[in-house]
Amino acid sequence: MQLELRELYKNFGQHEVLKGISLCAQSGHAVGLLGRNGAGKTTTIRILMNVFPADRGDILLDGKPVDYRKTRIGYLPEERGLYPKKIILDQLVYFAELKGMRRTDAVTATSQWLERLGMSKFRNKRLDTLSKGNQQKIQLITAVVHDPDIIILDEPFSGLDPVNAELLKEVVREEIEKGKVVLFSSHQMNYIEEFCNEIAILNGGKIVLSGNLREIRRAHAGNALSVRSPMQEDICRYYGSRASRMADGTVQIALPDPQDCQKEMCLITGRWPVEEIRIFEPSLQDIFVQYTRDQV
Amino acid sequence: MNQFRTIFHFEIRNYFKNKLFVGTTIGIMIFLAIVMFFPRIKSSLNTTDNGKSAQTATDNGNEDRKTMLIASDDPSLARSAEAAFTQAFPDYQLQVTDKGENEIRRQIKDGTAEAGFLLHSDTDYTYFVKNISLYDSNTATADAVLRTIAQTNALTDSGLSPAQAGSIISVTVTHNVEKTGKDQTKNFFYTYIMIFALYMVILLYGQMVSTSVATEKSSRAMELLITSADPVSMMFGKVLAACLAGLIQLSCIFGTAFLLFQITRGDWEENTVMMSVFDMPLYLLLYMLLFFILGFLIYAFLYGAVGSTVSRLEDINTAIMPITFLFVIAFIVVVTAMSRGNVDTTPVIVCSFIPFTSPMAMFTRIAMSTVPIYQIMISVAILVVSVAGVGVLAARIYRVGVLLYGNAPKPREILRMIRKH
Repeated sequence: MQLELRELYKNFGQHEVLKGISLCAQSGHAVGLLGRNGAGKTTTIRILMNVFPADRGDILLDGKPVDYRKTRIGYLPEERGLYPKKIILDQLVYFAELKGMRRTDAVTATSQWLERLGMSKFRNKRLDTLSKGNQQKIQLITAVVHDPDIIILDEPFSGLDPVNAELLKEVVREEIEKGKVVLFSSHQMNYIEEFCNEIAILNGGKIVLSGNLREIRRAHAGNALSVRSPMQEDICRYYGSRASRMADGTVQIALPDPQDCQKEMCLITGRWPVEEIRIFEPSLQDIFVQYTRDQV
Repeated sequence: MNQFRTIFHFEIRNYFKNKLFVGTTIGIMIFLAIVMFFPRIKSSLNTTDNGKSAQTATDNGNEDRKTMLIASDDPSLARSAEAAFTQAFPDYQLQVTDKGENEIRRQIKDGTAEAGFLLHSDTDYTYFVKNISLYDSNTATADAVLRTIAQTNALTDSGLSPAQAGSIISVTVTHNVEKTGKDQTKNFFYTYIMIFALYMVILLYGQMVSTSVATEKSSRAMELLITSADPVSMMFGKVLAACLAGLIQLSCIFGTAFLLFQITRGDWEENTVMMSVFDMPLYLLLYMLLFFILGFLIYAFLYGAVGSTVSRLEDINTAIMPITFLFVIAFIVVVTAMSRGNVDTTPVIVCSFIPFTSPMAMFTRIAMSTVPIYQIMISVAILVVSVAGVGVLAARIYRVGVLLYGNAPKPREILRMIRKH
């Protein structure tokens, strides 16, 4: 299964929110949707979920426009919220029914998920009697209980303790392995790096960078060297503004031409004692900041 | 359709799981039972205590009654007035005093007497009372009594015997009433009860719809709802569930009252108000059902739409105020006309064709006056078309409103967004 968003445009009044968003997601893979606040992520997700239509552009599933009556989509919104005063089982079954499940199937599936996440004992309790982390787990069930084809997770790990985060990671991995299309939106880059093969960075309503995460990192590597040396004062003085001290105690030296990489490494190792020298490969965080620093 | 059904079932289940809703309904039913059985309970208590209390009641009878003083310079007037006043004021113990105006003033001031009459002649008197109540009709009664005395005196002075004078004054007139329309003395009470029930239920449930939508927004459950269900189904499911819950609650309350009245009918034979309330004709109940459903829907749609535009529960009261105001105006127009005894006034006739006021105004006219059938049909047709129109408009506002967070948008902004969608 392949989900494709093609040239989506959306205006709210005079405000142009999306300016031609295109991205592609394959089943069995997770795509990271990154962007600063107001970049257009939620609008893209809402158009994808048919909350409102795009002004222009297409959403295709295996090359055909998405038929929302047949395609099941699961959504974990960033703004968490269910009915705080209502019984957990009742509201989970309600949401599953709204997603097209029959009542008996919804009760069975909900019970299985409550069991899977260790929440069975709370099934007949009111939601507001649960801790924030447990409420998050209940919310996750609404996104996956109806066995969706496409799962959209918006900041799924925010507010979870490490144990619950591990549990959620397991669930996400299982869903990816089951062949679901997973769209993953988060500001916690480590999770994106852990789950997503593909990323798309939005800035000012446009995709400013997209593609395979490994290739992107490789493409952005080579224009700097990372050096650890007892003589780093001398190295910094020598390279002047091209050198910058990093928090981990290394010195990063920018290369005007990546071709000079070998030459510079020889120069440094010949002139100063060096404990470690390698081609600098930026983290996703570095790439994200580089592409979204100047938000439109 | 499936989503509508799911939402409708969820909402209606919520009403019946709501302890306050169930508790209030049962509480009102119990209260009605106590009221309906009250005469029976009272009479059974009286029977038990009869032996002991009968004598005591007789003994205390005179002491319990308030004192009324009568004074006059003319002893024969004082005598004839005492006899007539004793008959005319059975709740008072009459006392004739010859100590004059100051004694009356003193006794009323210190509370020994409740009221006093200083008779200057059979056509002129002064009434003494400490605080004059809104419902004090003593002077009117005294006027009538003294008028009779004056007339009797005049007739006897002109040569007639007191018996002849008495028969002239107390001549009785018999009459028959043939009504071709409605009898307001009978239909006033049940119309009032029905109008009040209509008012309460529409306001309460309308506000419940509004609060329910705003709660979904403020708790952010709406984020999940709008991505799971069609807003039109959400809106209609919620409104129709509230309508059914309201109908069920009304049916329980009215049903209990009717059932208990059938059981205790014999105890109420002498109570004209109760008898007239429960002699409500069936066609009027059907009209009430019709106007309740249509009136409820038009207001609940508006309340739902307005609820969707606010993000915080504390903003809801300000937002729904104009709708509540509209409904209260309709109620005041109708009740004012009812209390004047004429519901065919221009404001009520106009209101009976305006969709937001017609559920109450047309129903009142049907109940208390004779309305041509074509007028009822026009009013209902306007109302039905308006309910459909307001339903469509409300669904559009809802579709846009549920996505808006922050300050409640102005009506102009909402209209602009609706056009865009």
